[in-house]
Amino acid sequence: MKRLRLDRWATQSQPPRNPRLQLRSRPFSHTVRPIASTRDLQQTCQHISRRGLATETTASDVTPAEDIELVAPIESGQKPTLKAPSHRRAPHSAKLSALHARLSLPSTMPLQTLARCLIDPSVDSRPGYNNAPFATLGQDLLGYYTSEHLICNYPRLPMPIIFAAQYAYVGSQTLAAMRKEWGVETVAAPGQEVDPGLLQLERVKPGKALDESGTMQLKDMPMAKRLGNKARRREELNERRGVGSRIVYDDEFGDLRSEPAVDTEPFAGAPISTAGESQDSSEDITTPVGTTVEAASASFVRALAGAIYLHGDASAVKAFHKDHILSRHLPLHTLFNFTHPTRDLSRLCLREGFEPPVARIISETGRLSRTPVFVVGVFSGNDKLGEGAGSSLNEARIRAAAAALRSWYLYSPPDTQIVVPSDVEGAVLKQGKVKQWKPQMVDMGEIVT
Amino acid sequence: MPLQALRTVAKPQNGLGAFILQCKRIDFHYCDWAGSSKGMNQFLTNNLAAFARNNPGVECTVSPRPGRHPVLKAQYMNGREKSICVRNMTPKEILEKADLLRNANGEKLRRTRKPVTSVNDSVRGVWSPFHGAEWKV
Repeated sequence: MKRLRLDRWATQSQPPRNPRLQLRSRPFSHTVRPIASTRDLQQTCQHISRRGLATETTASDVTPAEDIELVAPIESGQKPTLKAPSHRRAPHSAKLSALHARLSLPSTMPLQTLARCLIDPSVDSRPGYNNAPFATLGQDLLGYYTSEHLICNYPRLPMPIIFAAQYAYVGSQTLAAMRKEWGVETVAAPGQEVDPGLLQLERVKPGKALDESGTMQLKDMPMAKRLGNKARRREELNERRGVGSRIVYDDEFGDLRSEPAVDTEPFAGAPISTAGESQDSSEDITTPVGTTVEAASASFVRALAGAIYLHGDASAVKAFHKDHILSRHLPLHTLFNFTHPTRDLSRLCLREGFEPPVARIISETGRLSRTPVFVVGVFSGNDKLGEGAGSSLNEARIRAAAAALRSWYLYSPPDTQIVVPSDVEGAVLKQGKVKQWKPQMVDMGEIVT
Repeated sequence: MPLQALRTVAKPQNGLGAFILQCKRIDFHYCDWAGSSKGMNQFLTNNLAAFARNNPGVECTVSPRPGRHPVLKAQYMNGREKSICVRNMTPKEILEKADLLRNANGEKLRRTRKPVTSVNDSVRGVWSPFHGAEWKV
């Protein structure tokens, strides 16, 4: 069969590319077709205008976009349109059941819950239907299991490294990568008719995009969203920047807790347009803001962990964490960024009562050549703490001190000694294989703060 | 100033913990009329249900492609697609091709020159001229 040139014969039903042309054409079109349900209409409208035509729709089904848009904003008391597919369609989605099998999720977890995990708050703001409550639970669980693993296995890690390692294991970037590795695709645009096996999200609009009237750029609008609200605000930076305040006030990555983007205030002197507000007030309630694919993917993975906990037990989510997160490769020694390693090392030796560190050349070559190499070790008495090679004596000495510090910080007790708290407490008890709790050594962490 | 840390992303190691099959979807295209689809049509009626049951993690879709040869198209996690034309094949041969697509990882076929690849540094270390026995001419 020849390929259907959908774009050719659908051009009439699509809105013109330039939104201003569409504006001009509106007042002259008087044809308003009475159509049964407004909800279906709005769906079709979104369907057509955002995505082009899907293959199932035939030419007769398609209503010209102009007519629809005239009908769509009807009575003011009408219920806002949903943009997420119904949970009733979940058992019929091939993508969902394939995902369920691919992740070997417990059979107690129904497909409907998996479908709900894929619904971001940006498409359905009702907390009973989106994944936000699951994601909150899942984030806490994943953060808890990761932090106990890190602290019990590497008891001397300093706080900034723990934050960075947490981010590397369960940060939003990693979880977004996991979503891709699991083969979960995102919707091109949200709607009720899309497959429930896709990640449902409304993307944040780029600042250069035009608003609905097509006359202003979004970045000039009062509701323009600030991207990356993880960044620390300047005033907060001045008030508190210590590690202690990050432990107490901030999230598990040492970042500021991200406030809901709805609260973000417009910049000073932003023009406030009343016309736009009055038109879109109903839409704003359902979908206040868009989100990024990374944030939505991360909340999907977190929500899945939360859902596994709710439908199974703590051991199920612990196994999930071990299989999918702790199995990832993270070389911890690459996370360190020392500024004054020699100073830190001498403070460490002072604290632990070792002899003060002394750097000595172990070997050298080509001192007078263009590419000299010195191998320097730092010794405390007769014990060699670390060794490093560099093209100058100073570089080699600093590298040696950094190596010594890394080996101190990355100390790990023998495997038989490590008992994480979740091995002992909680739901694992009922399986009968209870580990005996041993008090774990946790060092004071950083040498110089 | 406290110790600085660098943010990275932990690398995936598929199969070390959970194993995710890299084939995520196989499309079966057939033609009702053409003779080259005879085996494919038999496969769809007799064998496809069992194939899908044995591979629950792979999404199987069936769609007509009238007037063309039957094709298997597989989509992979890395975003690539592999397709095999199965014209005039028997259901058994088609099943073999479907298994081939299912077991592939989506990468281009290339010769592996080194049998072992690792994310870790060598345990033995890099050879250094400054260590070990001294060597003299």
